[in-house]
Amino acid sequence: MAATFGSGAMTNSIGEMDDADLFFVLGSNTTEQHPLVAARIIQAVQRGARLIVADPRKTQIASLAHVHLRHAVGSDVALVNGLMNIILQNGWEDRAFINGRTENFQALESVVSEYDEERVLSITGLSKKSIVEAAALYAQSPKAMIVYAMGITQHVAGTDNVKSLANLAMVTGHVGRPSSGVNPLRGQNNVQGACDMGALPSVFSGYQAVSDPEAIRCFEEEWAVKGLSPHPGLTATEMVEAIDNGQLKALYVIGENPVVSDPDSQHVYRALKKLELLVVQDIFMSETAELADVILPAASFAEKTGTYTNTERRVQLSRQAIDPLPGVLPDWRIICEVGSRAGYPMHYEDIEEVAAEIARTTPSYAGISYDRLRDSWGIQWPCPDNGHPGTMYLHKEKFAKGRGTFMPAVFVPPEEPPDAEFPYILTTGRVGAHYHTGTISKRTLVLNREVPYPYLEINPEDAKRLRVRTGMKVAVESRRGEISLPVQVTEKVPKGVVFGSFHFNEANVNRLIPRHLDPVSKIPELKHCAVNIRRL
Amino acid sequence: MKRLRKDRIGPLLEELALQRRIYCPQLLPGGEVVYAEPGLGNLDLDNGKPLISAKAFLMPQVEAIAEFARQEISIITEAEPTLLFGIAPCEMRAIQFVERFMTRDGLSDPHFTSRRRAMIIIVVACKEPRDRFCFCIEANGKPFAESGYDLQMFDLGDFYVVESGSANGDALLSLGLFEEAGPEDARLLEEEKSRTAKIAQINPGMAGALRVLAKENVDEEFWENLAACCLNCGSCVYVCPTCTCYYVTDLTSVKGYTRLRGWDACLHEGFSRETSGHNPRPTPGTRLARRHEHKLKFDVMNFGGSACVGCGRCSLVCPVGLGAIEIISKLNWSFGSIDEGKSDFDIFKKRGKEGWE
Repeated sequence: MAATFGSGAMTNSIGEMDDADLFFVLGSNTTEQHPLVAARIIQAVQRGARLIVADPRKTQIASLAHVHLRHAVGSDVALVNGLMNIILQNGWEDRAFINGRTENFQALESVVSEYDEERVLSITGLSKKSIVEAAALYAQSPKAMIVYAMGITQHVAGTDNVKSLANLAMVTGHVGRPSSGVNPLRGQNNVQGACDMGALPSVFSGYQAVSDPEAIRCFEEEWAVKGLSPHPGLTATEMVEAIDNGQLKALYVIGENPVVSDPDSQHVYRALKKLELLVVQDIFMSETAELADVILPAASFAEKTGTYTNTERRVQLSRQAIDPLPGVLPDWRIICEVGSRAGYPMHYEDIEEVAAEIARTTPSYAGISYDRLRDSWGIQWPCPDNGHPGTMYLHKEKFAKGRGTFMPAVFVPPEEPPDAEFPYILTTGRVGAHYHTGTISKRTLVLNREVPYPYLEINPEDAKRLRVRTGMKVAVESRRGEISLPVQVTEKVPKGVVFGSFHFNEANVNRLIPRHLDPVSKIPELKHCAVNIRRL
Repeated sequence: MKRLRKDRIGPLLEELALQRRIYCPQLLPGGEVVYAEPGLGNLDLDNGKPLISAKAFLMPQVEAIAEFARQEISIITEAEPTLLFGIAPCEMRAIQFVERFMTRDGLSDPHFTSRRRAMIIIVVACKEPRDRFCFCIEANGKPFAESGYDLQMFDLGDFYVVESGSANGDALLSLGLFEEAGPEDARLLEEEKSRTAKIAQINPGMAGALRVLAKENVDEEFWENLAACCLNCGSCVYVCPTCTCYYVTDLTSVKGYTRLRGWDACLHEGFSRETSGHNPRPTPGTRLARRHEHKLKFDVMNFGGSACVGCGRCSLVCPVGLGAIEIISKLNWSFGSIDEGKSDFDIFKKRGKEGWE
């Protein structure tokens, strides 16, 4: 999205969902993973809005859809190119928008023209009626919002999937207006904030490239240092490879549990064992912390003050409610302490001083201060100065980068197609009651009771062939490893596809998942893996 | 009957606080109304409907009910003297209902009853509906309490007329802050009661819904269709002043075990799942049916009246518009107790964008 629009965040706000005429939800189990966003969508649908859902699984939001596109796992680019092809064939595109605000349309047209009906139907496994209906509904609704989540990004074609959705929105002019746009739902309360703060290897805060001499000068001055590296560092998944190769010797993990959450987890485990130093900073003991040389206990959300930036770019103040446990500090104080003892004195009186530094160095946060946050429900970036009210939706008159660039994407099949040896497709995700590796949710009685054990969703036809009923155990095997867990027989998954979660280390699907990465984002292909299943 | 000038409320609370822990509805700077000890925000006796009802003071969200140490089991039933000041009449009815439930069949929940015995309740009658979700009159109540309270206060302009409902109430009225009331006050009070008994509220059609459910002609399809939107969050249960389902769990410590109980919700799949994995209520529809049939059908059979007091909290809080108001209305619409077009509340058309705000 940053490449096409110039900014990679929800273009609209959650509140704008109330006024949308149509939602196109892709790769998002919204009711379980973003229930309050789902509630907005459901209430809008109750009032008459239309809903298209593209997901191989029949999730709750899919069961409420007017059109449910149950396309083959990983065929998103073909689907979206196919929709654009239908739109262009029927003249449903927005010519004024294309001419006035975008560039590179010809290139898109020529790629999209190769996605004729026959080809799209054969790749996606969909019916002609459903894709024509979806194309017409999306193109012809006055205000249409695309909503997507990890079902789009966690593929080797993840970046292409996102570019295709941006293309679709620009072809129809459904971006840069209230209740019209492209909206990635962030998976955590502050993942937007972490990215905004430069917790990515290639940028400083506010997505200022580490190679930008102007940004380097600004941060060298602010931090009173010389010689900041202009070269991007490694992503989390690349670090594991670097440890394995012996290039990386020490790792400092804050609030992550890669032993469970990263693909090919046995490989992650082996790699972490090779480290000369592993430091883990967390609020509970995790599987990763068990391997650590040093554990730094951190304060929980209730024990500290700070801000979170949520999926709609809203920076919100969270106040300390209780005293921290003895010996526990907020993350920022631990980091300052580590920095200081390592020879770089980091001193901030309080968290407001940190916020002031963020505002000084980050143009999109320049007008955000604790004084303003205390009296509001938060401020949405970009907020360039103190008098600026914040920004409800992005790309109003022009895109962040000027003209929006069509970046046509070509369908690339998933890395590991099913074959005779591994005939099933495993797709992975989360369940409503649990959060990631369960470090928190498994310690919460009612949540843990809701889903106490791992399970594998399997279609009734496949279950019949394997002679298993709900509750019976199977072995699931991929080229990386094997796990065993009980099945849940359900129409939720299509034939040939099984679904499992990564919440349970005892049967962690990530032991099976390959290390194939999207070449640009380096996000692993967590949504597609060839497996074999045996009855136990 | 006595009078209390409005400027005496502050001194009254100060005096009462000498003997008991007081909780009263308070408006916080962010706009929420909560029950809390005086001083957290501004006392709000007119519009206050705290989202978390007063049941939290009789059955806390999580409480320790027993301790096990060195072969000894001790039941925890200590209760601190408390006073609820300014609760709404519907809250009073809810407490009466829960009390009847907790002491049914000659049994007694010791944790609940010890707290209840240590509690004094001062009700403030409603002048107007506290918000647009109020439907106490349809729910067989009134905007004033008819029993159960120690004191009940009626706002008559510059002063309150205060009725006593118990010996504890009589004792409170002997405090010097109260003034004698005259025959004119009695007349004004009767006028106020007959005015508010006919106050305009939302009319989802409670009587019709009870008839529909009593006839047992509500099929599974009806509930499954409604539950298609249910997010299983349990909010309706947690805010309900008469929902008392709980879980029990043992917390291990170096000294032994502490048995905790906390609020649970019948909408959660794990609530009715049995050890074998079998679940008698396996779908969201069967669980939604369970919840509403319990309140609107089985409680009528077992206790002679529904457990819904018409506070509307569930409709206020539900993220997808599936509270009691909507369910009651939908029962009428689907099973014909109300002519289409005559109902007050078509759930999906009249509910605004700001539905629950």
